[in-house]
Amino acid sequence: MFELDVATRHIKSRRRQTLFSIIAVALAVGIIIIFMSMMSGYTSILIDSTIENNPHITVMPKDGEDYIHLYHGLENHIYDLEGVEAVSSYFQSEAALQYQHNAEGVLLYGINPEDENRVVNREKDMFAGEFASLANPGSRIILGYKMAKNLDVEMGDTVTAQIPGAGPADFTITGIFRTGTPVDEIMAFVNLERLQDFYGSGDVITGMGVKMSDAYAAEDLANEIDRETGYDAVSWIEQNAEILTLLETSEGMVYFFYIIIFSISGFGIANILIMIVMEKVGEIGMLMAMGTSRRSIMLIFLLEAGILGMTGVIIGCILGYGASLAIASITIPVPPEMYFGMDHLPVEIELKNFITAGIFALVINIIAGVFPARRASKMDPVEAIYSV
Amino acid sequence: MSEKYIIQIKNLTKIFGDGVEIKALDGVDLNIERGEFLAIIGPSGSGKSTLLNQIGILDTPTSGTILLDGVDVTEMSDKKRSITRNKQLGFIFQYHHLLPDFNALENVMMPLLISGIKSSQARKTAKEVLAEVGLADRMDHRPNQLSGGQNQRVAIARALVNKPSVVIGDEPTGNLDSKASDNIYELLRKLNQEHNQTFILVTHDVRMAEKTDRIIRLVDGRIAGNSKNST
Ligand SMILES: Nc1ncnc2c1ncn2[C@@H]1O[C@H](COP(=O)(O)OP(=O)(O)O)[C@@H](O)[C@H]1O
Ligand SMILES: [Mg+2]
Repeated sequence: MFELDVATRHIKSRRRQTLFSIIAVALAVGIIIIFMSMMSGYTSILIDSTIENNPHITVMPKDGEDYIHLYHGLENHIYDLEGVEAVSSYFQSEAALQYQHNAEGVLLYGINPEDENRVVNREKDMFAGEFASLANPGSRIILGYKMAKNLDVEMGDTVTAQIPGAGPADFTITGIFRTGTPVDEIMAFVNLERLQDFYGSGDVITGMGVKMSDAYAAEDLANEIDRETGYDAVSWIEQNAEILTLLETSEGMVYFFYIIIFSISGFGIANILIMIVMEKVGEIGMLMAMGTSRRSIMLIFLLEAGILGMTGVIIGCILGYGASLAIASITIPVPPEMYFGMDHLPVEIELKNFITAGIFALVINIIAGVFPARRASKMDPVEAIYSV
Repeated sequence: MSEKYIIQIKNLTKIFGDGVEIKALDGVDLNIERGEFLAIIGPSGSGKSTLLNQIGILDTPTSGTILLDGVDVTEMSDKKRSITRNKQLGFIFQYHHLLPDFNALENVMMPLLISGIKSSQARKTAKEVLAEVGLADRMDHRPNQLSGGQNQRVAIARALVNKPSVVIGDEPTGNLDSKASDNIYELLRKLNQEHNQTFILVTHDVRMAEKTDRIIRLVDGRIAGNSKNST
């Protein structure tokens, strides 16, 4: 492979310029890897927290009905399905909570705390009191930290719930939870039987949460439940479809910026290659006279682009890796409710990001090399030789 | 016929330019024998370089044919031209055109590497040829570490290393002082006699031309003189 020999000599003979073009590629690759790692980190935190803090499947009443009647049978049936870990039935109702002169709208959930805890671990979010205290069918309520603040209430205070169609009822606060999400402002839990009684609806529910061993199997199982039972089963994926597609489209948008950044570094490569080709006109002519084919001339300069690009990519990957680690280790002073309780930037170092950024950069660099390489290969040997 | 003549040129014409046409070669007929040492002379602009470039298959004529060892080179594909240049032709120009990033030995190896010969074999052959041109002790010098005459010797070694049947030189001593020129000519003459290769040299130097087998004189793209030297 004399082509490789010639290519490496050309590169070595222009140390300073090659260094600059390699640095440009390395920086582009490094920056984009940091970007990608942060995007990955942010996405996976968002998804993890969604999976962790929501039922994987929510089963709701049939079309046109308000309740699921005779739900114990359905509960057992779903529980026995493949991949289901836990089921929690709930009765949900809108209500206004009132304490002295303060009133706040709330989504009131009547639940069985043991079942609910198995579907979504509420206990871990408890800021004060215990979630299990709702096992007692008395008038107890657990509400969010924000809600408690808004109402200006504390543990042991009694709030009045105004429930449309059922009148007022008093509940004593036996727990306050804090998730760091908007849930803290809108959800409150009471005992299932207590709420059913209060509503006078009999032993019915408005929905059922399901936890699965594999959250990503939820979509398929939801469809199956839908088909089999006729109840409206929705997976977390469907429920969060908007956010998930938003994440995907924003990823698409980001690729646009990647192309711009890589193109800038590609121009660096094209620039040095154009300079080499211009300087080596006579040499190219002589190589042709010696019998080098046009294909080989082209290959020489594409190899140069490839070598510069590859070196830049390798250095860039190392840079990106180091910088991602450094960013991941920085703790940031943000109030925990802002970013899902994070205290540092979400960075996820994924091999796939390195491969994507690397191949992307390499392809753009080789494309940048095509123009000068073609120009060299199309030279007229006579003109090239006598131009010197 | 083709036994005796390595090159047969028939009615070769080369016209340059789209608007104003310049007839650089105008119906040249020329046969060159195997092993002949031929000088081409003529005033500047008479078409000497153009003729050499057609013989060297670096350019294509407007009309006419060139048979190299019986094969019409004007009909060849681009790829075949490259291969033919590599295997059957050696080139020496006024400027040595050595690759500046390679040392003398590597430069001489280059035609062999291009033809696909293994590097170890190429190195061996190149060393022998470099020794033949008297540069055995300068092999690892780069062009910028050698004198003009030495570089031209490296270029000669490079032209000969593939054992081509025809070596063409366009004013190979045009850049050298007269002493270095004499040395180069003696070397070329010696190599020509030892290897029985055909040498076609363009020169301005009448004194040099007289040492060759035959002198072709070009004027305005036509052969105006064809005289054998008596030796
Ligand atoms: N590429 C070209 N384009 C146009 N005219 C050319 C070109 N090459 C050579 N010529 C013309 O052809 C004629 C012969 O040129 P050349 O063969 O270089 O002469 P010599 O080598 O005898 O000095 C000259 O008139 C020159 O200007
Ligand atoms: Mg000339």
